[in-house]
Amino acid sequence: MSDLVSPDLPRLTLPLSRKIARSLKIGDTVLLDGEVAMTAGFSTHQRMAAALEEGRGLPFPMNGTAFFHMGSSCRQEDGRWVPNYVNPTTSTRFDAFMPTIIRKLGLSATGGKGGMGLASVEAMREVGCVYFSMPGGASPLLSRGAAERLETGWDDLIEQFRLSRFRLHGFGPVTVAIDAHGNSLFDDLQQAASLRMPQILQELEQARKRSGLA
Amino acid sequence: MMLPAREDIRVPITYEVVKQVASDLYGWSLKKVPDDTLAALSAARARETNPTSQRTLDFMQAAARAAEREDRHACSDAGFPTYFVRIGTRLTLDGDIRRAFVDGFAQLVATIEPPILKFITHPLTLERGYAGKDMPIVSFDVVDGADYMDITCSPKALGSGRWADLKVFSYPTVAEIEAYIMECVLTAGSQHCPPVVIGVGIGGSFDHAAKLAKLSTLRPIGSRHEDPMIADMEERLLAAANKTGFGPMGTGGDTTALAVHVDYAHGHGFVPVAVCFNCWINRRTTARIHENGEVTRLE
Repeated sequence: MSDLVSPDLPRLTLPLSRKIARSLKIGDTVLLDGEVAMTAGFSTHQRMAAALEEGRGLPFPMNGTAFFHMGSSCRQEDGRWVPNYVNPTTSTRFDAFMPTIIRKLGLSATGGKGGMGLASVEAMREVGCVYFSMPGGASPLLSRGAAERLETGWDDLIEQFRLSRFRLHGFGPVTVAIDAHGNSLFDDLQQAASLRMPQILQELEQARKRSGLA
Repeated sequence: MMLPAREDIRVPITYEVVKQVASDLYGWSLKKVPDDTLAALSAARARETNPTSQRTLDFMQAAARAAEREDRHACSDAGFPTYFVRIGTRLTLDGDIRRAFVDGFAQLVATIEPPILKFITHPLTLERGYAGKDMPIVSFDVVDGADYMDITCSPKALGSGRWADLKVFSYPTVAEIEAYIMECVLTAGSQHCPPVVIGVGIGGSFDHAAKLAKLSTLRPIGSRHEDPMIADMEERLLAAANKTGFGPMGTGGDTTALAVHVDYAHGHGFVPVAVCFNCWINRRTTARIHENGEVTRLE
């Protein structure tokens, strides 16, 4: 914990209360404590959405909790599961399943990297859920905030695909990139980039002329 | 006493040496962000005006240093290794060199700490394991007159593989080529863990353009293409990519790409254009096996 880059950031405890989830704003950067479920598995998401739609239960209760798109590797030490490392995975991979998962579980927080599609953003607005964006490829520091794996479900899957429940302690920094009111930083930036593209192409044309190209 | 002529003391490069180097390279690439990339991140941090981006770039650099210092994976997704092998024509080889890469990969999987997860995926059944058909992906080339073998390892996962694209044009203008490259940049958005290195291959054949793009991502950041026409293109495309505003990890900012590297080949007139990306950790590492069997880690 001592060499966290931003030890002075505000701390939030998962699961978030609905009130806190709705109070968070795009760009808020925080450290997280508390409990979260995670998986990096496409097949896991498929299985979760199917189970929820058919009214079957999940391996452990997840109503109102936080659920992150993350992979993890753990080792056993004195009867506890100690993380070797954790890291976010690309959230848009799960766009087909997340609206169902968010609504059926009434998630209060989700997260990963790269954001989610507009159908998920709408589901999040309905239930009051935020998306935390995490830095990818920064596993050595991010893993320090993953204190312990508490349990796993669907152990027939490979390790990073199992539904895994973790205890976090000062996990982050994570940045609110989709809020509980229908705002998505990713969507805003994607739209801004699209709108800027004619101007960018025109500037490329000017640069080509300066280089003596027609 | 007569010293033996240089030709007489040359020993063949063996299966064992290549296997060990293949294993080491994959391990090194997972645990070290290349120095040129760290320097580029630091330079980007100095230019960055967005506070969230500044924090992200600081965190990235600190995480990269921690990975090297603590012998840990920079990213939890080890992906799968790809190797580029350049064999000097003055070398002699002994043993199954292609098998050395398969066995070197297996050795790394069996011994690396912390362990890596299963990422090798069957494209149709999605079954996952630690080995598979054509794994690892190895391409061989020869270097005329050289008495060494250079091997580069570049692991591929989502951020370093998923967002690549290729389109074949008929007699395109430079404007059309550059518009397509920018379309790829826009489509990838921030899904590839920016700031990225962008590799572009133009011309030749379908497969050759893809190879040029891939090899271009391996070029040192800050190096200029020897052809001024291409160097200018790289410069203006880098400026254009950074005007998109996606920023580090896609939370906005001035740094979406650390470099754009372009290469070209003559072809027929139909022009394949390939675009690929390497995520910010820019995993690549190279070693040289000398004619006497000595190994030097080059990056």
